[in-house]
Amino acid sequence: MDDYKEKPYFLYPSALYASKEPIWITTVLGSCVAVCMWDPVLKMGGMNHYMLPYWNGNGLASPKFGNIAIDKLIKRMENLGSNRRNLIAKVFGGGEVIETTIGLFHIGDRNIKIAEELLADYRINIKGSSTGGKQGRKIYFNTYTGVVKQKFVRKQNFG
Amino acid sequence: MELSKYSDEELITEMQKRLLELRKLKKDFKDQALTLKNLNKKLKEAEAIKSHFISHVTNEIVNPFASILGLSKNIMSGKVQNLEKAMSMAELIHSEAFNLDFQLRNIFAAAKIEAGEIMPEIIKVDIKSVIDNVIDVFDYKARQKELQIDFSSEIKTDVDKDFFYTDPDKISLIVSNLLSNSIKFSNAASKIEIIVSIENSLMTIIVRDHGIGIDKKNLQVIFDRFKRLDSTINSINTGHGLGLSVVKAMLDLLEGDISIKSRKNQGTVSTITIPMATPMDELDGFSFDDNDLFFEDSDEF
Repeated sequence: MDDYKEKPYFLYPSALYASKEPIWITTVLGSCVAVCMWDPVLKMGGMNHYMLPYWNGNGLASPKFGNIAIDKLIKRMENLGSNRRNLIAKVFGGGEVIETTIGLFHIGDRNIKIAEELLADYRINIKGSSTGGKQGRKIYFNTYTGVVKQKFVRKQNFG
Repeated sequence: MELSKYSDEELITEMQKRLLELRKLKKDFKDQALTLKNLNKKLKEAEAIKSHFISHVTNEIVNPFASILGLSKNIMSGKVQNLEKAMSMAELIHSEAFNLDFQLRNIFAAAKIEAGEIMPEIIKVDIKSVIDNVIDVFDYKARQKELQIDFSSEIKTDVDKDFFYTDPDKISLIVSNLLSNSIKFSNAASKIEIIVSIENSLMTIIVRDHGIGIDKKNLQVIFDRFKRLDSTINSINTGHGLGLSVVKAMLDLLEGDISIKSRKNQGTVSTITIPMATPMDELDGFSFDDNDLFFEDSDEF
């Protein structure tokens, strides 16, 4: 973490961040999913952190929703100069950290599924992932090397 | 498969198996098609609402500017001899500019939220003064309708309990929107109450008016962006319907909640609750002293 002068960028739920400058982006995930998008040619990357799979047309079209967050992350990378064909993705989170007796919800699973489906649609390879399970995760993404470090966490206050 | 190798029965079983698979695929396919159809319909609706919004917002930005420019030109020309007349013109300019400023703040907030660029900026906040400031800003608008705004705080006056860790700018915009709605929908010369309390690290802010209220069926759609309940051109109530969806998103960010109770012609009570946030420098996302230890048993991808 000492590689860069700047402190790691803490990504909040429903937010999105991409940078041309080498930086660590960090976030904490429960049932939320974060997609780390990396451009191996330009050596830069970005991350989103969404809470629900689909925007249903109500409320603001924010990156709180998987379909919007993934589209926006790809567009942001393109705005920074990336060619979509070069992008690779790594997907994290989607744990069932809150025990639900009603199987209907399975937010974590549905969050993972939308990432897999949308990234396949865009033909962006998922080069690494750690999803599902019952624990939360804390991840650090190096936008220069594309490396993601992950640690399982137990505490409850994450998205 | 090589047909001759199999008996008739085996072939029939195989055919049945494949037929079943085909049926299942067909059903899956139908389900998928239906999902897509529904999604498409929703997207079209959203698009229609958005284009309506854009034409609406043009009116609401261009028209006020036209009045501001016209009125100020008049005053500048020196043709207005009467000071009183000039003052009432200045008042109109102020009022138009006030509305514009407020709406633009909501529009920019919404744009920031939709870009995923909004984040809480947590500091120690004197909640009473934040709300006092909001009331101050809206004081003139309230007086225009002869409304009385009663602000009462149930915060104990212990030195430290007066403060609350949260994001003051977001709280200010949330309360501004609730108060603005209450002023907009209040009957003239009525009362608006704002009550704030903090208990067990949970802050509650109640805004109550005695205005026209909201229908039961409309209560469900008030958080939708761009939606206004009465969107006829001659409506006396202006606004672009962005306010409450901004409020909702800001509350999401602060892990807060809102409930709105209302009865037609009796008034509306909006209650927001917000838990105390962790100060920024205590979030472990921001402390990086023990990173070697931290990643001792970490995975790398």
